[in-house]
Amino acid sequence: MSGVAGQTAAKTDGWEPKIVAFCCNWCSYGGADSAGMGRFQQPASARIIRVMCSGRIDPLHVFNAFLEGADAVLVTGCHIGDCHYVNGNDKTKIKYKYLENVAHELGIEKERLQLNWISASEGEKFANFIRDVTAQIKKLGPSPLKPEGVA
Amino acid sequence: MEKGEMYVGWSTKDDVRKRGGSGGLVTSMLAAALEKKLVDAVVVLKKINEFEAVPIITSDINEVLNSAGSLHSVPSHFAKLIANKNLKVALPAKGCDVRGIIEQGKRNAINLENTFIVGLNCGGSMHPVVTREMLEVMYKIKPEDVHGEEIEKGKLIFETKDGKKNAITIDELEEKGYGRRESCRYCTIKIPTNSDIACGNWGVTGDLVGKATFVEINSEKGARLLQNAVDAGYIQIQKPDEKGVAMRAKIKGVMEGLGQKWKEKIFVPMDNRLEYFRKELEHCIDCGACKTVCPTCSCGDVSKCTEYHSRGDAYKMSMYHLVRFLHLGDACIGCGQCSDVCPVDIPLTRLYRRFANPIQQELKYEPGMDMQKPPYFEVKLNE
Ligand SMILES: Cc1cc2nc3c(=O)[nH]c(=O)nc-3n(C[C@H](O)[C@H](O)[C@H](O)COP(=O)(O)OP(=O)(O)OC[C@H]3O[C@@H](n4cnc5c(N)ncnc54)[C@H](O)[C@@H]3O)c2cc1C
Ligand code: SF4
Ligand code: SF4
Ligand code: SF4
Ligand code: FES
Repeated sequence: MSGVAGQTAAKTDGWEPKIVAFCCNWCSYGGADSAGMGRFQQPASARIIRVMCSGRIDPLHVFNAFLEGADAVLVTGCHIGDCHYVNGNDKTKIKYKYLENVAHELGIEKERLQLNWISASEGEKFANFIRDVTAQIKKLGPSPLKPEGVA
Repeated sequence: MEKGEMYVGWSTKDDVRKRGGSGGLVTSMLAAALEKKLVDAVVVLKKINEFEAVPIITSDINEVLNSAGSLHSVPSHFAKLIANKNLKVALPAKGCDVRGIIEQGKRNAINLENTFIVGLNCGGSMHPVVTREMLEVMYKIKPEDVHGEEIEKGKLIFETKDGKKNAITIDELEEKGYGRRESCRYCTIKIPTNSDIACGNWGVTGDLVGKATFVEINSEKGARLLQNAVDAGYIQIQKPDEKGVAMRAKIKGVMEGLGQKWKEKIFVPMDNRLEYFRKELEHCIDCGACKTVCPTCSCGDVSKCTEYHSRGDAYKMSMYHLVRFLHLGDACIGCGQCSDVCPVDIPLTRLYRRFANPIQQELKYEPGMDMQKPPYFEVKLNE
């Protein structure tokens, strides 16, 4: 219990945050792929979870990721208007609003939960996004929701 | 009769009029609906003693007539009682009852077409356990000696069997941690305009004070209910005087203002929120009672939140509550039921409202007030 405050304060040098990125099969997952192929420099912090549409991401997947030890969770999908299932990402947008509200009221820093629309061709955007978030989280330190004993 | 009209009325049965909270109109209207087959069943409170009762669904007119009277220490909730039963029913309903019933209606668990909601103005209700303690500590009387209870001019009055009246102001009681449940203090539905017909004693003037009820018709169903009771000879009504109408509007405004003040007092901005929530939820035994009673939930026994009972011991927060904080964001009506039932006294309503207040305000969505769907379901195809 008392570890929470201590953990947040510790900004360990050389520590790599764990970032869980939910990626839509039709866009951001492709973005992650082209980031790799284009050899854009990106840190090894991201754990990518592929879903068929951003609309499939249940907010409880996000809570689960945090409770399992993620330092940040990213929700990504196709640009509005480009969803392969008509309006899956419109629903993502609204669900995200509720999710963001819970995270904020809980007191989780806003850097730890982010939403971004990234197409399959935007490899550079994806790489920059992961790099920026990694830098932000390195400043913040480990997530206060991380279980004891998880790095 | 139609929507928007206001009347003052009372029961034509002397004993019901005497026992009624203010004239027995509600009781008589419910009984008339049953007798004339407007409905098949009625929900009323069945007394255990002078200040405790349980809700029942009945088709017995006598049982309805015997229920007259306002019980302020019975924070019952009627929405789940009538859900999934496909009843043609009439029932009294405090603001929070009405909101719960409408939310169950949205979830297809209650057919609102067949439900006649008799709204009761509501200044608040008290937890029965707190009331018992309050009687002993503040009033110095044994709960068993209570013969009657009423609220008058801001005072809560208990009459004992020896005929003595014991009065203490509600302000004083609440200062000492007794009085109304916390959720009632900041509840702002004082006159249930979301019901079919709103009934209360505010607006009753002169000789009729305490002997009549002020009603406002909110829907066609409400008009039918009132007309039926007049036609059946159960009640007598007349037009209210202007002074009464103005007074009622003024009290409503004052009460809503006080509710708003309480809200600001209770929900002060906080640092270290994560630690606060973790501390509060630390003793949760995952019994699921808070979900079972929640009048806006209609998931049944198998639900997403309860899937997470007793799992993930190393987790720093309860998944069960995280899912509920999320799901209640647009659904919580602040009825206080969850806090009332929690066996380990977690102030749940206060926690849930921390999440519900900002999002409901931002999305301008007030659950239980009308049939408007939650924002998530308003996502337009092809937009
Ligand atoms: C908790 C509570 C607080 C109230 N506060 C106000 C107020 O501040 N201002 C105002 O103008 N009016 C208030 N009322 C309404 C008022 O007391 C009368 O109920 C109303 O004027 C109708 O009077 P009546 O004689 O026609 O009702 P009655 O004929 O006495 O019928 C009352 C009906 O309400 C039911 N009932 C009693 N207690 C409860 C309860 N706790 N929950 C749900 N149903 C119940 C009974 O079963 C009965 O069917 C309140 C009522 C309650 C129950
Ligand atoms: S929450 Fe509101 S409507 Fe419900 S009992 Fe309390 S004051 Fe009355
Ligand atoms: S969460 Fe609690 S206060 Fe909110 S609607 Fe459910 S039972 Fe009522
Ligand atoms: S009622 Fe209390 S103990 Fe039971 S699940 Fe809810 S918070 Fe936990
Ligand atoms: S298919 Fe990519 S967000 Fe729906």
